[in-house]
Amino acid sequence: MPIERLLAMGGRLVAVALILIWSLFPIAFVLMSSLKPAKDIFAAPPKFIFEPTMRHYLELIAKWGGFFDGLLNSFIVTVGATMLAVVTSVAAGYIYSRHSGRFLNASAVFLIVVRLIPPIAITLPLFPVVNWLRLNDTHLVLILLYATFFVSLGTLLMRTFIDQVPRELDEAALIDGASRFTIMRSIILPIVAPGILAVSVFVVVFAWNEFLFAFVFTATRAKTAPLVISEMIGSIDGVDWGILFAAATVQLVPVLLFVAFMHRYLVAGLTAGATKG
Amino acid sequence: MSAIHANAMPDERRVDRRSPQPGRTPARIIRIPERVRNALGFFPFLAPVHLLLLSIIVIPAFYVGWLSLNTSSFGQAPVYVGLANYVKVLADPAFREALINTGIIVVVAVHLELAVALGMALLFAGGLPGRRFLLVAVLAPYAISEVTAVAMWRFLFDPDIGPVTMALRALHLPILEWSYVPSHGLLIIALLTIWLHLPFTFVILYAARLAIPGEFYEAAKVDGATTLQSFRRVTLPLLGPAMLIALLFRYIFAFRLFSEVWLMTQGGPARSTEVVAVYLYQEAFRFNAFGTAAATAWIMVLISLLLAAGYVLILRRQGGAHAH
Repeated sequence: MPIERLLAMGGRLVAVALILIWSLFPIAFVLMSSLKPAKDIFAAPPKFIFEPTMRHYLELIAKWGGFFDGLLNSFIVTVGATMLAVVTSVAAGYIYSRHSGRFLNASAVFLIVVRLIPPIAITLPLFPVVNWLRLNDTHLVLILLYATFFVSLGTLLMRTFIDQVPRELDEAALIDGASRFTIMRSIILPIVAPGILAVSVFVVVFAWNEFLFAFVFTATRAKTAPLVISEMIGSIDGVDWGILFAAATVQLVPVLLFVAFMHRYLVAGLTAGATKG
Repeated sequence: MSAIHANAMPDERRVDRRSPQPGRTPARIIRIPERVRNALGFFPFLAPVHLLLLSIIVIPAFYVGWLSLNTSSFGQAPVYVGLANYVKVLADPAFREALINTGIIVVVAVHLELAVALGMALLFAGGLPGRRFLLVAVLAPYAISEVTAVAMWRFLFDPDIGPVTMALRALHLPILEWSYVPSHGLLIIALLTIWLHLPFTFVILYAARLAIPGEFYEAAKVDGATTLQSFRRVTLPLLGPAMLIALLFRYIFAFRLFSEVWLMTQGGPARSTEVVAVYLYQEAFRFNAFGTAAATAWIMVLISLLLAAGYVLILRRQGGAHAH
């Protein structure tokens, strides 16, 4: 029945077009608007053909120097949080994968339960403590917070990935007198690189984009890029959309490329994470 | 590390390997019970993760529970007041409004998102040209910060100059007056949160759909099932657990919604679009009312735990399709 098949094909194409517009149009619009001359940003209907200009980027550099400090802060915090989360998750995931017992099973449940606690609920008790430790407005406080919110997912993911490494490998090494550290470093780590990348994708995306913790715990010195962009949105003398779109583009392009390149690990991580609690 | 044996084991190379015993390290010189030795061996591996979780999430969560039973503010000595803070919060019209708003956003956004994600997962599983590119395109919003997403949304839906607003006008459809009509404000926040989280829900369902063996569908076809019948008898039951997991995650994450609301409407106009997390923030950092803010925090923790408990019960009743 060719007519029915044609209709089904047409329906599919329409659905795909809608999905693409929904997912990509807002992002494409930001990228395009950052390159449009000011008068074209507000043109109705929106212009898709225009004379690209770097003016908004130059203005961003001239008027919002703090944005680039924010990017550097975001970078430091993202790298720090990712390294901390990965190292601690691999170590714990290895034990959970290779051993079981009443205590270990109970603490694995504990890992799942901890993920249910809303971040905003702990900003309140941490606030005076962070101030007292003189950690407010530092990279360290964000690194600790971001890593902590992903170590439970990270540990469970690493356990799933390490489960796929044959136990005979570490059995043999144990019998040859290798220590747990040696086994983890030289046998497990090389094999579970995809798992490490999966955990990294989650932490990188979260740390690079996070707003709430940065908003509560940083003010000037350790202010991250999303916080600077939020100041642009809320600026008193009206929003300069051109500069805002330029800043948003600079902030989103690196992480968008990162996700595009790493999407396989993201999917693998979500799949493993969802089925293993 | 050398393996010196204190117990009688003539040659360690001849250990019975047919039944490998995980976690059995060769005994050391001193006879320490296996369990204690294991615990000592595990400690350096498990300590970092648990130290982070305890010091940054668990202990502060209990501390906030204790704070919720006291009245205090910055630089004030706490005074024990029992459940007075909870009574105060639950009686506060602003809190009730925030709770209702949160409920509306969670119910609308999460279910709509699940329905769309399910449709997309089935569409993708049916085979599409250029699937890899499409997958990356669908995942793209996952990479975007809430802050940037709010910036785009505010521009696209600007009541005067927004491209989406103009398109709606041109089609003679009602536009969203989100900056001063509360229900429109909630709707736009729901749309925004769907846009940000759809990739997550989609991937979970898509992976689950790909895990269903093709033979099931072939068998259904052989039995003369229509497309709709095989969807109802094969796809839905087998996707059930994945849908439940996606729902639970999304309920819990949508319930803690903060940034989108704070940046989009600041909870305004006149606190009409506040959600629970925004209410908590206002109590704590604007009104310095630590007692009521802490009570709100514990109410949030309890509701999250109840959602998870309900989910576990449903899974148990289904016979636990997924081992945890």
